[in-house]
Amino acid sequence: MTTRAHECLMRMYEEEHDLESYQGSIPRWCSGCGDNAVLAAVQRLCRDEKLRPEKTVFVSGIGCSSRLPHYMKTYGFHGIHGRALPIAEGIRLARPDLHVFVNTGDGDCCSIGAAHWIHAIRYNMDVTVMVHDNQIYGLTKMQASPTSPRGLRSKTTPRGACLEALNPLTVTLGIQNVSFVAQAVDWIPELIYDILSRAFHHKGCSFVRIVQRCPEFLPELLDPWLHDPNRILLLTHEKGLQVSAALGKVYKNQLEHDPTDLDRARAIASAGDPMPVGILYQNRAVPRYEEMRAITPLRTPELIQRGLETEFDKFTVWPREPAD
Amino acid sequence: MGPELQAHIAFHLTGKRMSAGLQAAGGLHLRPGLLARYGDLTRLRYDFPLVLVADRADQTSIQSLSALVNKILQDIAPRGIEGEATRRHLLRLEREIRTLAANGETGTLSRLWDLAAKRIGAPDDSALAGSLSRARAVPQVDGEVVDCTYRLPAQLVTHAWTALQQRKAKRRSLEFKRLIVRLSDILQADFIRSRAGTSAARLKASVGTGMEGAFDFEALSNALAQVSGKDPLPAGRRQRVQQALAVLIARRSGTQADIGGPDDLQSCAFANCRDALAAFRDRLPKIIELVKAMAIAELEIEGRYVEATHDPFFADFDEGSVGTKDLSLLPDYLVFIGSESLHGPENAGLMEILASEMPFKVVVQVSDVLEEPALRAHLGPVATAAQLGKMAMGLGNAYVVQSCSSHLYQARGRILAGLAHAGPALFSVFSGSARHAGMLPPYLLAAAAMQSRAFPAFTYDPAAGPDWATRFAIDGNPQPEADWPVHEFAYEDEAHQRVTEQLAFTFVDFIACDPRHAGHFAVVPRAEWNGSIVPIGSCLKSDSSPGGGAIPYLHMVDGDHVLRRTLADEKMLSAAYRCREMWHGLQELGGVRGFRARPVTPAAPAAVADSTPAAPATKAVAEEAEPEPRSDDPHIDTPRCTTCNECTNINNRMFAYDANKQAYIADINAGTYRELVEAAESCQVAIIHPGKPRDQDEPGIAELLKRAEPFL
Repeated sequence: MTTRAHECLMRMYEEEHDLESYQGSIPRWCSGCGDNAVLAAVQRLCRDEKLRPEKTVFVSGIGCSSRLPHYMKTYGFHGIHGRALPIAEGIRLARPDLHVFVNTGDGDCCSIGAAHWIHAIRYNMDVTVMVHDNQIYGLTKMQASPTSPRGLRSKTTPRGACLEALNPLTVTLGIQNVSFVAQAVDWIPELIYDILSRAFHHKGCSFVRIVQRCPEFLPELLDPWLHDPNRILLLTHEKGLQVSAALGKVYKNQLEHDPTDLDRARAIASAGDPMPVGILYQNRAVPRYEEMRAITPLRTPELIQRGLETEFDKFTVWPREPAD
Repeated sequence: MGPELQAHIAFHLTGKRMSAGLQAAGGLHLRPGLLARYGDLTRLRYDFPLVLVADRADQTSIQSLSALVNKILQDIAPRGIEGEATRRHLLRLEREIRTLAANGETGTLSRLWDLAAKRIGAPDDSALAGSLSRARAVPQVDGEVVDCTYRLPAQLVTHAWTALQQRKAKRRSLEFKRLIVRLSDILQADFIRSRAGTSAARLKASVGTGMEGAFDFEALSNALAQVSGKDPLPAGRRQRVQQALAVLIARRSGTQADIGGPDDLQSCAFANCRDALAAFRDRLPKIIELVKAMAIAELEIEGRYVEATHDPFFADFDEGSVGTKDLSLLPDYLVFIGSESLHGPENAGLMEILASEMPFKVVVQVSDVLEEPALRAHLGPVATAAQLGKMAMGLGNAYVVQSCSSHLYQARGRILAGLAHAGPALFSVFSGSARHAGMLPPYLLAAAAMQSRAFPAFTYDPAAGPDWATRFAIDGNPQPEADWPVHEFAYEDEAHQRVTEQLAFTFVDFIACDPRHAGHFAVVPRAEWNGSIVPIGSCLKSDSSPGGGAIPYLHMVDGDHVLRRTLADEKMLSAAYRCREMWHGLQELGGVRGFRARPVTPAAPAAVADSTPAAPATKAVAEEAEPEPRSDDPHIDTPRCTTCNECTNINNRMFAYDANKQAYIADINAGTYRELVEAAESCQVAIIHPGKPRDQDEPGIAELLKRAEPFL
């Protein structure tokens, strides 16, 4: 009915931020890089949700994608290769009051970070994960990544990649405890924003794969999907995304898909072409690890001291009685 | 018309026995027919006695003995013939415990269990002892055993309230601890960064023994001098944090009567409203101080305290600034009153409590619903105490539970919810009293009150929803859709044949239980039974107003278990009609029988439906009618911009980003047509449309027009 006094008081004084106040350094991505679209969408999200910069943190690994924390004027953690997710999980446990976002790439998440990826989905901690999937190792100047299509010629696959590309969507949907999987494409900024907004509001590990163009190394790879709207399959539903009229006029290939239907989500994810865009799966009932393992005794100095004393007492050496 | 009929009619209309045939009802130890089977309650398996389990704050804190025994049997006695012996033994034990409780034996379940076991001969009978020890081995709850007596409402509600208060005290203590730790952290962090915190002595102490020799603490302290001591905690903030900390630490020690630890619960239980209100008012200043300190603490911990806005607010912090949720951590006040003490100032105090937002839980024990009115104006019994619950509901703010003591076990969920409710709560419980019960045990009297709708059960939860449908419930009553509950009544006629009838238990049956009103009834001798007297249930069934012509009688059973027909006079009938009216009102509120208030303007929704289609139609037309920008004008489909910087890198005065960091043409004159075309070609999503050139003399215009072709 009524709120506590301090909650009223906090609402009395709410700060408004505009997009610019979330801008850190000037982005150094190549012009035309899809990372710029993701950055703009994320800044819009922070502004619209009125996220306090000191309560927001962006965690990344290594790659072009992982430069994003530098360009946000919030807390950031540019970690080591493949370890963005475990660092984010640690932050979530230590600072449950922060909003945690993860920026990782197809190499950082699906290659070196594959082990952490599987378990991050299982733990289902409340983080928003953005996988900037440009299907190449960009920062290291063009090597094939797990999501590179078969036949791609790169510096490590001069005769063309011989393996079929990994599908991050089907892998994630196959992991126990998965609670939110969505796919966006960087040339439809309105949907990036909508999907990221839903991912942010979802309480759990929100996995968003953003299919992204690399204008430097793979300038034409995604042209067929870029130029032909019918090769994009928009997933709409009252529980999922609702598409605006203007967008619906351009992208007519739409499918009504209930995000709670896991089997159908897996089928859609496997199909590949047309490229599904929207929320594939959402399950609000999956518990979050940080809540299951919340530490209830408050860590007061007395508690810590008692714990230390108990441990030290195990090693106390008592003087031996002199033998007679 | 025979003389007997005349006498019957005369009695019915006037209440006076004119003939020798009709006998007085008093002195015959009559009870309503439907209650005849329940002579010895200890031989029945029903909810009572209850076990009040300690240390639980949910519904499992109140359990029924029969349910517990059933659960044990489920665990240890297999289905079928092998478990039969165990079942019999355990049921015998249960009956013995029930008898002990009915005879006034008090104590915990384990104590009564042992006593009962001894009484039924457990030490001598090895099979029995075996069953009982296996039963005892099942992990069980233990608690005080209470029977349905006149003290039950007080015992049950106090038990539930105590458990909830203890849980609240734990939460409170945790909350205080959390705030104290976080506030201390602020001061600690400031100290560590200060000059005093980075002195050589402190640095040495923080390193600990063993590694002291490795450091030159003076040098370290001097090195840190360049950064420490800068940007200390502002004096105002330090003072606020310290004051809040002081208040919280003082309260946490729990010696103050207003915010007590578990053993301070007695200071929150009262025997009348006046004392409770006085105590609350006395403690109010301390409560205000505490709530203020907690609010300041929360703001400082979040770093959201803004002096310009919040200082004036806290300077004026008084009881008006304290809300229900702020009080939810502090103890509730429990008040017990008997309905006979509700008059004058006490009544006013009760209304004040129920109309407020203060966390008071009031239990009113109603011992009598059939008081004779002060003026004997031929009205017959009037149930006024039963209306207390309805009056409280009218105030709108309080959680109201009305019930009879026989029904308290089923109502335990609602009672706990009421005790946990943030604002005031009223528990109006009919328990009857020994003076007016005649021969009926308290359980039957209370059950009769509920069955006869003299004291129906209901719950009103103001927080459950926006309307009466969600807030009000009468589902705890037997057969809530009927006027009176109908039960099967079996008896033996003169030919020793079994006859069954469907009998309603009406308000008149309830009045007949009360020896004070025996004068309104007269027993008809067997010889005078005829068709002109009808069962009262069918008399009342007709919706016609009183005076339908038939003479009502009740089936009653005397001390020898012989069935008697007892006439009731007209005043009884009127009283029953009034009772039924009030019950109908409750049914209407509770949505039973579809008596919902009819919608006032059925036409209105249709009108609204007509107007809304018009709006989207006009909007759609507007969208269509909006002229497409002429392809001659250069423009950008801004909502589809992916912020890729290609165009802004070409000319950042012509192309600029809007508030959403999406590109638009800021100044068409700031660049050339060539730049427009180049931007269109390099735009990743092809949303730049160069249009027609404004300056036809621009060099290379022909080639540019050809290049611009696909983007127009």
